[in-house]
Amino acid sequence: MKKLILRTKICAAAMSISSLIASPALALDEVIQASFFPYANSKPAFDGLSVGLVIDQSNVAEFKDIIDPAFYSFIEKGWTSITVGDTSSLELHQSYIDASAKGYGNVQLGKETGEIIGWQAGRPFPAEPSNEDARAGEKLAWNYKYGYNWGDSAAISPFYWKYKNMESAKVERTIKFNFHFLNFKGRVIQQPTPEIIPNPSDLFRSIYVQVLAPDDVRNTQLLIHRAADDLKRDNSWLYLGFQRRVRRLATGQVTDAFLGSDLMIEDFEGYNGRISDMNWKYKSTRYMLMPFFNHNDLTLDNETHEDEDGYKVVAFSGKGDCFPNITWQLRKVYEVEAMPVNESHPLSKRVHFMDAQTFTIPRTVSYDRKGTMWKTFTIGQTHPDHHLPANKGSGVSIDDAFSMIDVQANHCTTGQFKGQVDPELSPPSMFSVQHLRATGS
Amino acid sequence: MRKNTQNMKFMMLKVALGLALWPVFQQVSFAKEARVNGYFENATYIRDGVGLSKFRNTLQIEAEKSFKSTGSLSNMSVNGTFRVTYDGVYDLNEDDFGNQAGGAISLENTIEGPGSTVIFGEGLALPFTFDTANHPNEGMLVLGEHLHPTDGGVAFGVPVRPCDTDSRGCLNGYLDRDIDELRFQELNDRLDFIRELYFDFDLNLDNGNIISTRLGKQQVIWGRTDLFRVLDVINPVDYSRNNIYDELEDIRIPMWILKTDYRMGATETFDDLNLQLIWNFDRFRPNDLGQCGQPNVILDAGCFFRGMNTLWENGGTVANFAGGVVATDFGPGQIGIRQAEMPSWSLSNTQVGLKFEGVLGDLGFSLNALNYRSQMPSLRGGIPAQNSFTGEVAAWPALIAFDIHFPRVQLLGGSMDYYSQGIDTVFRLEAAHTSGEEFANTLKENLYSESNVLRYVIGVDKNIFIPLLNDSKAFLFSGQIFGQHILDHQREERLLGAAGIPDWEENWTATMLIKGWWMNDRLSPQLIVAHDVRAEATAIAMSVEWIFSDNLKLTGGVNFKLGTGARKFDDCRTCNPFSPFTAAFDEHDEGSTLGLQGFEPLGRFQSGPIGMAQKEDELQFSVRYSF
Repeated sequence: MKKLILRTKICAAAMSISSLIASPALALDEVIQASFFPYANSKPAFDGLSVGLVIDQSNVAEFKDIIDPAFYSFIEKGWTSITVGDTSSLELHQSYIDASAKGYGNVQLGKETGEIIGWQAGRPFPAEPSNEDARAGEKLAWNYKYGYNWGDSAAISPFYWKYKNMESAKVERTIKFNFHFLNFKGRVIQQPTPEIIPNPSDLFRSIYVQVLAPDDVRNTQLLIHRAADDLKRDNSWLYLGFQRRVRRLATGQVTDAFLGSDLMIEDFEGYNGRISDMNWKYKSTRYMLMPFFNHNDLTLDNETHEDEDGYKVVAFSGKGDCFPNITWQLRKVYEVEAMPVNESHPLSKRVHFMDAQTFTIPRTVSYDRKGTMWKTFTIGQTHPDHHLPANKGSGVSIDDAFSMIDVQANHCTTGQFKGQVDPELSPPSMFSVQHLRATGS
Repeated sequence: MRKNTQNMKFMMLKVALGLALWPVFQQVSFAKEARVNGYFENATYIRDGVGLSKFRNTLQIEAEKSFKSTGSLSNMSVNGTFRVTYDGVYDLNEDDFGNQAGGAISLENTIEGPGSTVIFGEGLALPFTFDTANHPNEGMLVLGEHLHPTDGGVAFGVPVRPCDTDSRGCLNGYLDRDIDELRFQELNDRLDFIRELYFDFDLNLDNGNIISTRLGKQQVIWGRTDLFRVLDVINPVDYSRNNIYDELEDIRIPMWILKTDYRMGATETFDDLNLQLIWNFDRFRPNDLGQCGQPNVILDAGCFFRGMNTLWENGGTVANFAGGVVATDFGPGQIGIRQAEMPSWSLSNTQVGLKFEGVLGDLGFSLNALNYRSQMPSLRGGIPAQNSFTGEVAAWPALIAFDIHFPRVQLLGGSMDYYSQGIDTVFRLEAAHTSGEEFANTLKENLYSESNVLRYVIGVDKNIFIPLLNDSKAFLFSGQIFGQHILDHQREERLLGAAGIPDWEENWTATMLIKGWWMNDRLSPQLIVAHDVRAEATAIAMSVEWIFSDNLKLTGGVNFKLGTGARKFDDCRTCNPFSPFTAAFDEHDEGSTLGLQGFEPLGRFQSGPIGMAQKEDELQFSVRYSF
């Protein structure tokens, strides 16, 4: 990695020469450097913006160009404010970068949306998107889907979801989960790589969810098997504690509110549906304030969670306690629109603001069928080196707090994470139907 | 003494298992996590025409303690669920369900005109009759009177008070609760307040496979269907709690069971493979059908049994018996139920099952085999009884004198589910073939016969958005068809009507569940409809659940029935057991029914649990506080 950085830094310093030479190897390095190290040479800046600045109702107009329209309206109304942090490079794991370099040039889109050819691991389309490319948005969507995300496996344990009335700030419901993720394919670090064998259904990823509280839904478990074939729907099973049985779920209704929250199943992690369910449109590359921070530098929630590690979760404040108490960084962002193929979909579009370095989706604004803003989703990202000691060096952009606000219903769901990149917490045996039965009580 | 010895053996087995586990506990004695939670719930039901039918207060505590993995052992935990209830209905409505229930009765005596009656004890006295001094006319109901008139059929008196107040008809070891056991149903000699107590552990094998074991008092659930029990027959069920309408999780009777899964995980072909062994080493328990005098007595069977045992022990007046029109006074030991043969504990009386289960992409499947005892009682005739006319004691053909048995049953079955992506719908199928089950059969000398039975359920689940009603959450539509085919069914048309097995040879019950959610899933109305096709009886249960907070949940609902209630079938008044005294004519063969019909006692098998509960419409409210 260091060699690569060194080499790419040299290349960047000689950019004008390299562009003239344009050898394939050099082009690869340039592409990888630009994709994974966008802040290697300089940090972005904006007039009047400085670290520690608080953007609130009084000065938000000065920063309209670097704040998404939904969050701008929240600050304008005095619902919340943004504290600016120092832009930091969140460098993904070298193995993922190496896999991206190895695959560069070998991956291409298929004929239909949702088809991809030649991908093994890593970022499938690391080159900068172009407005000239009609399928640039789709490529960015693939970069998100095959992103480093939580790495090869991880757990959010525990994971608190709170349903809040935005007017009264009353917490109507608190659900405590464990979430576990496991990549079957595209694995780059944890053995086996690049794929867990046997994998008879050619799965790409699996998600296992266990509800710990409150009592009426305790021990509800959800298992999702996501096929590598994007055109195939997920297979899902639900274990209901009060029934003590595993039920196979119909997974077509991904716009269903999940356990009564303000999140559709399709909203998870920014977008949790099939690539083929959307028409993707790349809008622009921008520099925007995004919810990236160092967890250990925050003033944390003293009430919701504390364990023997001394770990505390992110606190919330603002209107209805719907906004995470975090800092925001000026970062390179791809603005991508996703319009549902299905005309009966309750949304007319989502506007995703994808972080260019990590390909996470920290901000999304959703619009109803009439084109009116409906929901806005924030997923706060912490640098792994400033979180749990075990996460240091993992190269994972850790999801650390979320807020889904239904602006029409004046309601929000907030999430507080303890993300742990530890393969011991998410063994393959956990992602089987029998595990639900064995664990159920 | 024999029972005590067997019980001692059973206790020793449990102690031995506990000792066997002790080293494991010692090795993992350092705690990882502990959890304790519970709830208090009040359930208050009001029954049409009765009044208060339930005032049940439940305290349930659940505790779990996990242990850190050690060596090849992982996922170790001890789980306990403890439940105590107090149902105040026996104190607040004692006229219907408590110490003051029942009263003096009269039995129909059609010979004096339709609807005419005689006072209990004043029927036609047979040569060997009974004495009301030993069997007073108090604290009784007429069998089936809440559901149907006698209408020319057979009927008799049924004591309804708790067994410490009135011991008549209380079968030893089966449906013989005293008032405190009714009030506090879990506080009994089977320690039902320990609802579950088991130890979990995984043994991780070198080949990557896992042996998962759960040992202790537990529920083991097989199958993929709701409400119906085709494969889900390992634990018996307490129908006295709320008939068929409570969640099975709350009404399964946990048993001491060893459950071991050999988890093979994914293979080259299957996404998941598993082999499960079940050993139910607990002393046998049947379904709790409800004791006569309780608010919920499914099929009214508990009343039939209690009335019949009363007849055996004390004799009694039977409506419209002699000649089919004369209320008749039988002496003790002539007709009725003599005893319930409750299987005692022995190794050979334990129950064993195997399940092979897997997932193949969109398809899930299981193959199941179980050797168990029927949890439903079988009434076997042919016991020695006194001839009412001669006093001779012998086994008389087709005499309505029985012992209750719980026969061995062999079950082979399977289940599958399939997700059809094209129509975004899940299909569920569950089927089982049993041999060894016994059915009432008025064509047989001992009044029962064995039959193989095929049961199945086909279920369909689909989530459907109805934007006009809710644009953020789909409604769940879940439909099921349950079919039962009695493969060795026997029925004949006799001189006065059909005789044989009263159960339908083929029958189907359909259910539909529609459930919606509002207010972030905190408000959830649901509609459940169940229709018994042959019984032509329908149950409709509507309820609304409101989760006020994480701790407080309120539920209100109504449960009502439509359609046909009681049905008639051959009641064996014309079975001619004491020929020639009971022969209808000279050529009437001994032990051969003519098929005279009445509501009691066998019509209940045609009405089914929905038809037999036609007069049990209820308003139901519950409040649950979780902590």
